[in-house]
Amino acid sequence: MTDVPAAVAVAGKQESARIVAGLLRMVRDVGLAEEIAQDALVAALEQWPAAGIPENPGAWLMTVAKRRAVDHIRRSRTHERLAPDLARLAESDGEPGDDDVLRLMFTSCHPVLPPEARVALTLRVIAGLSPAEIARGFLVGEQVIVQRIAAAKRTLAEAGVAYEPAGQLSSVLEVVYLIFNEGYSASSGADLIRTDLCLEALRLGRLLAVLAPDEAEVHGLVALMEIQQSRSAARTGSGGEPIPLHEQNRGRWDQLLIRRGFAAMLRAREAGGPPGPYVLQAAIAVCHAQARTAEETDWPRIATLYEALERLLPSPVVRLNRAVAVGFAAGPQAGLDLLDELRADPKMAGYHLLPTVLGDLLVRLGRAAEGRRELERAASSARNAAERELLLRRAAALDVPRERGMLLGPAVAAFLGPLRPATARAYGQTLHRLTRIAGDRVPVAELPGERIAEIFAMSWAKVAPRSWNRHVAAVRSFAAWAGTPHLAAGIEPRPVEAAPHFAAGAEPRPVEAAPHLAAGIEPRPVEVEPVSRTSGPEPALRERVLWSLLRESAAKIGAVLALNVEDLDLADRSARNGAIVWRSGTARLLPELIAGRTRGPLFLADRRPGPGRPVAEVDLCPESGRRRLSYERAEYLCKRATGRSLDRLRHT
Amino acid sequence: MRYLMMQTAGGAEPDAKLYADMAAFVEELTASGVLLATGGLDPVGFKMTSNGDEITVTDGPFTEAKEAIAGFALIEVRSREEALELGRRFRKIVGDGESLIHEVFGP
Repeated sequence: MTDVPAAVAVAGKQESARIVAGLLRMVRDVGLAEEIAQDALVAALEQWPAAGIPENPGAWLMTVAKRRAVDHIRRSRTHERLAPDLARLAESDGEPGDDDVLRLMFTSCHPVLPPEARVALTLRVIAGLSPAEIARGFLVGEQVIVQRIAAAKRTLAEAGVAYEPAGQLSSVLEVVYLIFNEGYSASSGADLIRTDLCLEALRLGRLLAVLAPDEAEVHGLVALMEIQQSRSAARTGSGGEPIPLHEQNRGRWDQLLIRRGFAAMLRAREAGGPPGPYVLQAAIAVCHAQARTAEETDWPRIATLYEALERLLPSPVVRLNRAVAVGFAAGPQAGLDLLDELRADPKMAGYHLLPTVLGDLLVRLGRAAEGRRELERAASSARNAAERELLLRRAAALDVPRERGMLLGPAVAAFLGPLRPATARAYGQTLHRLTRIAGDRVPVAELPGERIAEIFAMSWAKVAPRSWNRHVAAVRSFAAWAGTPHLAAGIEPRPVEAAPHFAAGAEPRPVEAAPHLAAGIEPRPVEVEPVSRTSGPEPALRERVLWSLLRESAAKIGAVLALNVEDLDLADRSARNGAIVWRSGTARLLPELIAGRTRGPLFLADRRPGPGRPVAEVDLCPESGRRRLSYERAEYLCKRATGRSLDRLRHT
Repeated sequence: MRYLMMQTAGGAEPDAKLYADMAAFVEELTASGVLLATGGLDPVGFKMTSNGDEITVTDGPFTEAKEAIAGFALIEVRSREEALELGRRFRKIVGDGESLIHEVFGP
């Protein structure tokens, strides 16, 4: 081979982990070890053209690097450091072993570092990538990575982290999976270079599996990555649009990687112990990989695995995936029931997969009109054009009569168009978020004011009063322009001098407040009884009953809202055969709320539903015609009055 | 990218040192996640030929012993250079002979 620079680069990548790990054992400083390893590569570039590429490039590099490390220690050692240095040099005679590489991984993934620093440092010292290569993978400038790595080395040196004999394996796994996901999320052609990150992560995982063979979670992570990677050719269409798992051409799944995944899964089982998050996710991936067709998928098993996973990792995304599995295993309604809480979760507001899943479930339930609205909503927050088009096509294919009137998206555009740029920018911020969450194809006239209020609560409950008022002004102005004043009916401006006691969570935000101001403000204690922190008028009777019932019964919010008057056994203080039980507080308030009603929903909305919002009969009060209080509305009212979510009440 | 490396038979008779070096090499490549699959091939295979509708099966051996493919390795590497370097190291271990190395296009 005549191309010496290429040979040096290859040897540098292949040997990086072992060389840096071996040096770390000697010099006990990752930054220094990495610099010496670089010096050795420079020496190779100088000497190999004349001397020829050595028989064993890795051993050559290691020898040169060690010699330089010894030189460095001789130069820098002082009397007090003499003894340990000599001891270290003596023990450094042997070749760097697996333990050294594992320790280097613990160090580069050390929890004192922020995640992006761990990722960059690991790719640098373990995978041997250059800062330019890392930068390309993460779509940032090379300088950013150089600085990130330098800062990471400094942090490690200052924290005295050098040679971790027993670090946190979970942190290493997290870093490897972060790298994998970064590559996995890059699907389009222009991003192709980033998909190399998946291969780097796989290599790191496979390496880790050899270094820590007794750890089930390591094999779980490897299995998960191998199987996910097996679908890489099948998961995007020719136009770059993502293809959902159940529509993928399974013939394009890479059977070699699937088998490797299965083998890793077996090793995870052999390692034993209770299944951790990676083993559970891998088990789910295995279920999919074992199904020869989408119809053969073992959904009940997947639903069970997701339930176990949610216990370990209670996150909205896990819940969403679980709802999909339950939707297939136990029917769309069961899936939909699991999503109630997510619809009110502000973290999920801009996440297009939630309305996508909701849309699918609703369509399967035969609620095509609602389903279409969700799919269109999903389209408006989709990440790329191909995905958006796919969602809109699916929405359009549904057999639903077209709704009339001006649609939100075009209306907002028409409203902002003639405004002065500064105003359009300020109003646009508010209105575009509303559009993203409510859906740009929802007719303006049919968008209830309550929904706007909910979106406000979700999006801006914690902003400063001035910002809040800016959002209110934007909606009022738009509502007046569109001739739909009801849009702004549920939102009120806030007093600008609002003190921290102000109702809807006016918690000081450290990022906004100047540090010296924020330092004097105590965060509000969590354990304060939420209801007692109410300011302004006392909450309505309905809310007091709901909150009290949730606290006393600790029942599921959806179940409590689903209660009908006829379900209640007031004498026994229970409902639904004892499934929900309350105590004296609720018992005192209930008769007043029931107020002589004999049937229909216990908790009612304030107003009757609008003409464009058909409501199932079970959700209507036969006497007043009002509909059942929605989860979102209940959540909003609770947040407005107490600053806390309903779910928190259940656990107080 | 993936490469398929195929080795022809021939060269020196394998001795204990070759076996040990080879085992260490395979172990290292497995640990670094490069080696996806590997195997040796029976020198006596059979050949299938199609001509129109007709398919003929002929039992081996067919070629000169030193030209027959004796083993393969499927590797996953970052670049052609990396494949080349691994091939070079492999040749150093096995001694005289030939390797054919082709990039494998995706499934």
